[in-house]
Amino acid sequence: MDANAAKLIGAGLAMIGAIGAGAGIGIVASGAVQAMGRNPDATGTIQTNMILGIAFAEAVAIYCLVVALLILFVF
Amino acid sequence: MEALGINGSFLLVQIVNLIIVYVVVSKWIVGPIISMLEKRRETIAQGIEDARVAADARANAEKEAEKIIAEAQTKASKVVRDANERAESVARDVKSAAEAEAGKAREKALAGVEEERARILGDLRGQVAALSIAAAQKLVNDALDEKRQRALIDEFFTGVKAGKIVVLEDASLTGATAEVTSALPLTSAEQESAKKDVLAKTGAQAVSFKVDPSILGGLVIKVGDKVVDGSVSGKLEGLRASLR
Amino acid sequence: MTGTPKQKVWGRWVVLAAFVLGLYLFTGFFGFGLAIPVVMPAVVLPTEPLTEIIHTPLGEFFLSGTLVALLIADAAIIAIALGISAAVKKGDLILTGIVGAVEALLEMLHGMTEGTAGKWTKQIFPWFATITLLVMIANWTELLPGVETIGRLVQDEKGHYELQQVGPIQSIINPAEDGHAAEGEHHEGWHLYPFVRVVSTDLNFTVALALVAVVMIQYFGIKSQGLAYFSKFWATGTVFSKPIFGVIDFGVGLLEIVSEFSKVLSFAFRLFGNIFAGSVLLFVIGSLVPVFAQSIFYLLEFFVGAIQAFVFGLLAMTFMAQATQGHGGEHHEEAHA
Repeated sequence: MDANAAKLIGAGLAMIGAIGAGAGIGIVASGAVQAMGRNPDATGTIQTNMILGIAFAEAVAIYCLVVALLILFVF
Repeated sequence: MEALGINGSFLLVQIVNLIIVYVVVSKWIVGPIISMLEKRRETIAQGIEDARVAADARANAEKEAEKIIAEAQTKASKVVRDANERAESVARDVKSAAEAEAGKAREKALAGVEEERARILGDLRGQVAALSIAAAQKLVNDALDEKRQRALIDEFFTGVKAGKIVVLEDASLTGATAEVTSALPLTSAEQESAKKDVLAKTGAQAVSFKVDPSILGGLVIKVGDKVVDGSVSGKLEGLRASLR
Repeated sequence: MTGTPKQKVWGRWVVLAAFVLGLYLFTGFFGFGLAIPVVMPAVVLPTEPLTEIIHTPLGEFFLSGTLVALLIADAAIIAIALGISAAVKKGDLILTGIVGAVEALLEMLHGMTEGTAGKWTKQIFPWFATITLLVMIANWTELLPGVETIGRLVQDEKGHYELQQVGPIQSIINPAEDGHAAEGEHHEGWHLYPFVRVVSTDLNFTVALALVAVVMIQYFGIKSQGLAYFSKFWATGTVFSKPIFGVIDFGVGLLEIVSEFSKVLSFAFRLFGNIFAGSVLLFVIGSLVPVFAQSIFYLLEFFVGAIQAFVFGLLAMTFMAQATQGHGGEHHEEAHA
């Protein structure tokens, strides 16, 4: 197999990690929306914390992206 | 790193740029906007405060107005009351003054009347005294009877004796008009006879009669410019002069 | 009757004309089009030089498309600053237009900062505002027509496109672009160095932002807590009194150090990844359906650009606020004493 092809496959596989981040973001957003529905007055605080949580969940996907980019362009 | 495009000089440029942008943003965007937010907050607070103050002022003004109106009303009613009182007192004064004046006038009038009466009475007394003297004189000279008494009195008062005027017996008078003055009004018969007598004796065309109690009795006849005094008073005068 | 409806009709005609022109240029749909073959873009990570390369002790330096985009963003920020200064100097309490929009945005951010940072709002808020504004404007340069599609054609061994003359414009076959310009590279070595390339797709920009943000987080931590701030990383206070928990605390402290570095990484690559993916998405869509389809993704990218800028700023602000409050800082202080 061509090394180039292996790189592409590897990059694609690396991005599988984004599944977890996607699920995590979905859970965070769902919880935040429910909380806002129950307590609309706290929307501001909940939004801030939701974005924070999403950012942490997204960090995993970002590591995946970094790995994929490294595979594609660096190695 | 090179493959990812990360490179020291670019990094430095980006960091420097970021710091410059930070300075610009914090100085010319954030600063003015924060101060503006502050100012806006203050303005709103000021507006609310102003509105509150204005509302207070309005409430105060309303209260003040009510107070002023109430004061005005009491003052007005007081003025009206005062005016009424003053008018009443003035009216009372006027009335009392008028009454006093009227009383004074009445008193004055009464006094005048009293005086007049006193004077008249005085006069009468004098005349009565004179009459008494005259009557006494007559009484001494003549014997009296009923008829004679009356005639005497009549003669005394009228100066007309038996249809003839006593004073004209020995006088010669001529004139156009004659005036006969008596102490008491003559009866029509006496007037007639007196008139006839005067006309015959003096040749006058018209005779007028006059009453003057001050002559006491007898007659005073004035024909033309001449006067014949046959009156009791004239006689008394003559008597008084002779007695002196 | 005259103004608005006419304008509407005019706008509609412009859109229609652009649509027809696009069809004419890129497809043989009606049998008479130029049928310029749409070029699949070359995805390139590092920025391409527009000028001669200068070698500096820190590395190569040249004017790149991303730097041009950065200058555009800077100019926009300076324009906004001038507008706001003028408006505030005039004594306006209510701003209108673009300046008013910026003011509304910053007021919202200020409210958030007050809720999170408390008494440190005055120091932290300028960073929040700076990062959000700069990143937002930088992201939105992606939406300008011609960005990443007009550029300098270079022939070297890396390129693999062909040149083609389209009217007065030189274009490339194979990896061509949509819209007003065409880009191209020869099979033997032509490729395009865009004049303007979104600055967020340059890792230097995002890494610089992330580094500054993380350094400022440490700065605020030290400023508020003094040296006690470092007890967060070197938690040796409880090792002897409570050995088991002490060891765990120590391990947590080491993890905190790692997390500070990972903050740089996540900050930098979150922004970079989103915007880079967005721009790739835009020209992939453009290469698949040259006309109209891109418009929908422009709307998406508009939101992504705004949200990523906001998230970057919000995260930086939150981390700064947390640093001032300290992670059980008092506890560690007592332990040290």
